[in-house]
Amino acid sequence: MSHDMRFIEVKNVCKWYNSTNGIVHTLDDISFSVARGEFVSIIGPSGCGKSTLIKLIGDLLEPSAGSIVVDGMTTEEARLKKMFSFVFQNPMLLPWRRVIDNVRLPLEILKREARDPADLLHMVGLSGFENSYPKELSGGMQQRVVLARALTFNPQILLMDEPFAGVDEFNRDALNIELLRIWSETGVTVIFITHSISEAVFLSDKVILLSSRPAKIKDILEINFLPRPRGKSLKESALFQETVKCLREKLE
Amino acid sequence: MFTGKTRVNMIVVPALTFVSLLVLWELTTVIFKINRIILPSPSEIAVAFANNYPLLLKETGITMAESVLGFLLGSLSAYLLAVTFVHSRTVQQAVYPYAVALKSTPLIAIAPLLVLWFGNGMLSKIVMSALVAFFPVLVNSVSGLTSIDPEAFDLMKSLSASKWQVLTKIRIPSSLPYLFSSLKVASSLAVVGAVIGEFTGSIEGIGHLINTSSYYLETPLMFAAIVMISLGGVLFFALMAHLERKIVFWEEPR
Repeated sequence: MSHDMRFIEVKNVCKWYNSTNGIVHTLDDISFSVARGEFVSIIGPSGCGKSTLIKLIGDLLEPSAGSIVVDGMTTEEARLKKMFSFVFQNPMLLPWRRVIDNVRLPLEILKREARDPADLLHMVGLSGFENSYPKELSGGMQQRVVLARALTFNPQILLMDEPFAGVDEFNRDALNIELLRIWSETGVTVIFITHSISEAVFLSDKVILLSSRPAKIKDILEINFLPRPRGKSLKESALFQETVKCLREKLE
Repeated sequence: MFTGKTRVNMIVVPALTFVSLLVLWELTTVIFKINRIILPSPSEIAVAFANNYPLLLKETGITMAESVLGFLLGSLSAYLLAVTFVHSRTVQQAVYPYAVALKSTPLIAIAPLLVLWFGNGMLSKIVMSALVAFFPVLVNSVSGLTSIDPEAFDLMKSLSASKWQVLTKIRIPSSLPYLFSSLKVASSLAVVGAVIGEFTGSIEGIGHLINTSSYYLETPLMFAAIVMISLGGVLFFALMAHLERKIVFWEEPR
């Protein structure tokens, strides 16, 4: 199916805002496609409009020009079909709900049973914390809860906006490995925003490099040459470090 | 949180201040032979209390009942109005300026009007109480219902949540810390409102008792009445603070 290769198709998307200082262009003629089940990272200088782009894909914003097609549908149709699940940098866990009830929240809203919240907590390594409150967990653990919550309703596309930016490096590496394991287990398509080059290389099949505002696509790099499954040792390999270096040069 | 010793000190130290002040007060009235109509001694107040406690309890009960009913009426309608504001900008634009204007009116000024409209029974005091309790709850509830992380709305929108779901799952729980800090303020104000209402025109209640004892120069009874209604107010506030700790358990009290 051509739909599988062009599962998400972003075509000539532009986004501008009216502000007090006139029109602000954030995205300029962005085009790329994402295959079903692919792990794609978007990287670029801060404030370049990466978050805007991911919100356009998830139908939280509308493009000023251009179009986005998801599995042959508009982004709105895809959102109404509950295809998207967002993970933000801020965990947005509800402090008055126990961990398990936070994971259950999407199911309550969608009024449907999909995956068992307790199983998902087990999958992210948080068995035994079902009845804790979010404030009793560390930042890294909170992001694991968020990951479990994002997966409860079996979304097809995980839209992650710098999800681990607030987590220390040690926990971030562990979370990345966990994320890859969950990705390969669920077959979900991931679009992942980060400003860490090595994180992008480590996780992705494909990295999209954006320029500073107004963001254009600088380059799209396929990194399927790095073997999977990827583990800690990959980061020590020369190939990995060479790739990171190459990306850094392209970004500068 | 506190060691046993600090906890004991938190009770013992203020109690010692209280006892020393009473002793000082008693001595002052005796040494300087102060007229009991101007300032009765603590022992005279205690006697007045002992002689009149059924009356004091009854009148305090009436005033507290007015306060609690007014508080419930005022805070409930304020919260419902706040929820309406959040869902209709038009209603907010139409009503909010007048709510603020009415807030700036000294409500004591309209007390005689309330007595005229609602009689000199309990109803006029309940309305007065409700009016003074209304504004802090309205203002805080509006900020509580609206100061929500934009990403929470993004999350809800990506799930295509209804307005009702956003209200019940996000807005109302997020507003509770704000609501309870205003309920503590409103509980004290409600008592003030009821007493002011009673001063203006009444046949019963602690405000009425204070007025009549002032008329008959029974200052010790007046003091006893003041002590009673202070206790009532403190208890009401403490109840709200307790509910706040139980219900808004996820947040440090403000």
